[in-house]
Amino acid sequence: MSVPLSQMWAVASYVIGQKLRGRKRYPLVLMLEPLFRCNLACAGCGKIQYPAHVLKRHLTVEQCLAAVEECGVPMVSIPGGEPLMYPEIGRLVRELVARKKYVYLCTNAILLKQKLEEGLFQPSRYLSFSVHMDGLREEHDEAVCREGVYDDAVEAIREALRRGFRVTTNSTLFDGTDPHRMRKFFDTMMDLGVEGMMISPGYSYAKAPDQEHFLRRRRAHELFQAMLGNAKRRWKFNQSPLFLQFLMGKQDFECTPWGMPAYNLFGWQRPCYLLQEGYASSFRELMETTPWEEYGRKSGNPKCQDCMVHCGYEATAVDHTFGSLRGLRDAAVATLTGRL
Amino acid sequence: MPEAASLEGWAPAVGRDGSLEEIIEHAFDYRGDVTVERRDGSRLTGYLYNRDRRVPEPFIQMFDPTGASHTIRYADIAAIAFTGKDTAAGKSYEAWKERRAAQARSEAGAESSSPR
Repeated sequence: MSVPLSQMWAVASYVIGQKLRGRKRYPLVLMLEPLFRCNLACAGCGKIQYPAHVLKRHLTVEQCLAAVEECGVPMVSIPGGEPLMYPEIGRLVRELVARKKYVYLCTNAILLKQKLEEGLFQPSRYLSFSVHMDGLREEHDEAVCREGVYDDAVEAIREALRRGFRVTTNSTLFDGTDPHRMRKFFDTMMDLGVEGMMISPGYSYAKAPDQEHFLRRRRAHELFQAMLGNAKRRWKFNQSPLFLQFLMGKQDFECTPWGMPAYNLFGWQRPCYLLQEGYASSFRELMETTPWEEYGRKSGNPKCQDCMVHCGYEATAVDHTFGSLRGLRDAAVATLTGRL
Repeated sequence: MPEAASLEGWAPAVGRDGSLEEIIEHAFDYRGDVTVERRDGSRLTGYLYNRDRRVPEPFIQMFDPTGASHTIRYADIAAIAFTGKDTAAGKSYEAWKERRAAQARSEAGAESSSPR
């Protein structure tokens, strides 16, 4: 585990506070999408297929901050679209850091070096650049459908680290992923000096062009076992060890679809970051009027049966960690020994 | 996997081609602009980004090209036509792979024909 102690403490005290208040459903991370526009068109992404007049629009900083305040989360992830194309990304990050929110700015890093040189961001323990890296050069450039992006991202990571920023990577894995190549990738990212890595199987967006390469549950377990079995101690993952164990088939969790709610131009997305079944005009409306019993594996909803994505299950893993002695023990053992 | 047929250009008649609710579901799923004809004869073209059929007065929500949001009750809708370009169509992974392969073939050809 590579999450800094201060961040771990902020999350732990938030989750315990929610439990003491008797809240059965609470959010952990806000997925804040200020825009849908992107400078890539990855085959696995279903987020960017909109008419030009929608792609040109973006949320205001005030709308973003109001969403953060309304849901009260300790962590904010800023995906998109490409957030570095958001004209007010510098001010948005400053405002969130001033509110002591832990920010993960999820970027393909094509623009990162330029933005760093412009002085748009200041290093802070509250700010991490979460750089999209779907594997080594060949695999990553294939996944993002453009050659040269891996090298640009590596250069930007080096520059961000040189300037004292926290840098993590996020990798979405699809069917056909070679576990041995991914182990090499983990070594390479650690050699680069990133703080930690985040990994997750992909979700089959209905609008994503590539529908053939999404992982089914059994194959996902096999892949993650091959990748993370006998994990090297030097590999640091910026996510719950129980979530990684879940990916390996060692934990049986149910989805927490409200754990990482998504807010974008259209409002609060129902029911989760991945399924787009409508929008609520406020977080309260989202929580109170979404038929949560219709989602997750137990519901029988076919769209949820093979999903193992972090936005549904990492919140479950964190809740399990602080909600039971067994969860706390499992997480502590995995963290201290490095064994998953 | 072959792409599903696009609804681009479809102008369904309510009743004959499906219920209004079904056509609205297709429009909500469609990644292009639609044109909504109201019962009073007025029309609005834009992106239909939301609908709620569980509330007492079901409604749709649209962004017009200026970015203004409009809410229209189901009861006020006479027809919906799929008039804008389907932005999710024709961008398949297979097409990208084919373009890459063609580029590789072209580069290989250029190399073999260059003077040594």
